Amino acid sequence: MEVSNTSSKGKLIASGVIPFAFLIILIAYIFGPGSELLDLGIPLPEITMEKVDFLDSEIQVTVRNTGPISVEIAMADVNDRIQPAAVEPDRYLERYETALVRIPFEWNDAEPYIVGITIEDGTRFEKEIEAAAPALEPSFELLGFFAIIGTYVGIIPVMIGLLWLPFIKRISKQKYHFFLALTAGLLLFLAIDSVEEALDVSNESLAGSFNGVLLVATVLILSFLGLYYTGEKLVSRAKSSRITKPVAIALMISIGIGLHNFGEGLAIGAAVGLGSIAFSTFLIIGFALHNTTEGLAIAAPMSREKKVIGKLAAMGLIAGAPAIFGAWIGGFVYSPFTSVVFLSIGAGAIFQVIITILKWIREQGDKNLSSAAVASGFAIGMVIMYLTSILV
Amino acid sequence: MILAITILIGISVIMIFPIGSQAQTEENIFVTHSGAVVKTTGEVLDPLYTSATVEFDPMEYLRDFNYGRISQLEDGTVLREYTIIANDDEIMEVSPGIFYNVWTFNGTVPGPTIRATEGDIVRVKFINNGEKEHTIHFHGIHPAGMDGVFEPVGGNGGQFVYEFEAGPVGVHPYHCHVMPLEEHIVHGLYGVFIVDPKEERPPADEMVMVLNGLDTDFDTENNFYAANTIPFYYQHHPIQINTNELIRIYVVNMVEFDPINNFHLHGNLYKYYPTGTDIVPSFYTDMITLSQTERGIMEFEYQYPGKYLFHAHKVEFSEKGWVGIFMVNENKEGTEDVKYGS
Ligand SMILES: [Cu+2]
Repeated sequence: MEVSNTSSKGKLIASGVIPFAFLIILIAYIFGPGSELLDLGIPLPEITMEKVDFLDSEIQVTVRNTGPISVEIAMADVNDRIQPAAVEPDRYLERYETALVRIPFEWNDAEPYIVGITIEDGTRFEKEIEAAAPALEPSFELLGFFAIIGTYVGIIPVMIGLLWLPFIKRISKQKYHFFLALTAGLLLFLAIDSVEEALDVSNESLAGSFNGVLLVATVLILSFLGLYYTGEKLVSRAKSSRITKPVAIALMISIGIGLHNFGEGLAIGAAVGLGSIAFSTFLIIGFALHNTTEGLAIAAPMSREKKVIGKLAAMGLIAGAPAIFGAWIGGFVYSPFTSVVFLSIGAGAIFQVIITILKWIREQGDKNLSSAAVASGFAIGMVIMYLTSILV
Repeated sequence: MILAITILIGISVIMIFPIGSQAQTEENIFVTHSGAVVKTTGEVLDPLYTSATVEFDPMEYLRDFNYGRISQLEDGTVLREYTIIANDDEIMEVSPGIFYNVWTFNGTVPGPTIRATEGDIVRVKFINNGEKEHTIHFHGIHPAGMDGVFEPVGGNGGQFVYEFEAGPVGVHPYHCHVMPLEEHIVHGLYGVFIVDPKEERPPADEMVMVLNGLDTDFDTENNFYAANTIPFYYQHHPIQINTNELIRIYVVNMVEFDPINNFHLHGNLYKYYPTGTDIVPSFYTDMITLSQTERGIMEFEYQYPGKYLFHAHKVEFSEKGWVGIFMVNENKEGTEDVKYGS
């Protein structure tokens, strides 16, 4: 008995392992040393200038080797004019290694510059800065400044949006569904907006080797799945605890919006950090305006609850406060990679929220999503967002 | 889920914070164009102030004239024989740290400055040791079959002998004329051919300056400009000349991609002979503008010793390497032995 049991176990393991072994042999054959099956072409060197800081009489460029082979930095230029420079710690960059290129240069405030780096094979890479501005030195003053901006952009507009709650409370079920759908429409627009922004950043500042589009897709779907799973757990637990389903949904919406606002904070912080004054002002006004609609999104599912003031305030904070952290990170430790990642997480979170809202409407609305209220709400939500995006 | 977030955070941390290799502890100091002193624990990137390790010496090229192997034909005509070997596989450090595939005549960019007197028979034995077809197309007057256009010379040892009578008097470029022409020229297959008048020009400190550019990343724009290939070289190593001594420069513009180049001299003016075909100067100026393969002869002498800049007044070019310095030294021997303008 026992013998046959172990032998069958052995067979089981063997049957699992043998195909795997063949797979390894196959891969070794294709990619292994001496294999001439794959000629992957000539590897081209690539560097990415991740950050350009304007200091006192000096321009500092953070350069990363983002290509498949190691490179040597040979020369720096400003506006295509060769400049003596220093490179720290040294000019040899292995894959993904970074160096700081320090170019002594009397730059002028608010003027555009193109900084170029030439590597040993003569290839020149460049990065354009729209308007030079002194690099942000981390200070408590600046920390406070970003906190205030984050509050104006994140917390206050969301709180204002929450003031719609009494209104939503008094309306009929049909209209309530309309507003839920409207929320979903608003959020869908935001999600698409986040994806677009993430793709833009990856296009402009992220090296090709990061596969920007795929990075966005992967992070988006991972965050969607992760939050979807957590959200379902939260809702199912809601049945057996004091948290009611609407609260659970509103909480998830707050978390999703919070991640999104984190991305907005990043964008604002980075814009201020990069010295794009006009752009950062536009972002602040635009984000502040549309974030009031986020308050509406949180308020809508909660409207059938009682004694919600405290919970709402907490959710307003969850949704709004990340803008502050985003602004800090964006301003002080900006990197294109992190902003792409956070924007994608935000988009995934919002998609998850949309799905949750739609399920909620479906359950509430006699298993039906195709009512006039839902369709028009969704459409109007999108249109409102589109119009605000034109206006600001 | 938690795993995914952990991985994401891990990658993000790596991406935000720079990964550096072991830092040097030694401190370097360098001085910028504007005189600012910069201290760094890293390395200095500077085509100007670090000692150039370049393989081609523009200072040697400056005053190097190849008069050929001289003999006489039966009728008494002087025969000058030259050998020019083309190559296209050399990687040369063209500026500190930057390596570029130069195509060369006799191993250098520009190729040798060959020189003959008007009426001499010039016989150039051309050997193509490159991979591609090449030729030599001489500017000047010669029979059709000697033009280096319709007689491509195959690589890996192909040969051709160009033979013609030297003329007209002046300074002329020569270059490869194989299609795509731009590629062959911008890689370096060009040089200077000087035809001296039978009655010699007055004695002078003579030099040749080929104004050229290098497109090291093949985007049909020059990454560097120079007089004699190496950017900033004559600024780093000033050209030593003497006061009250006639200086004669044979200037040839071989810049590709850009419509014009120019030559501006500081603290002085020069007599300019366009194409060098005339013995009477056409201009007395400190600034001439040259289109592609335009060339001429400049003559001047400095009265006051000291450092004088010369550069393209298309300032972009000078800030990408086409800039140099004449270090004018007091002429101890006086001026009596210098005679010119007979
Ligand atoms: Cu050629």
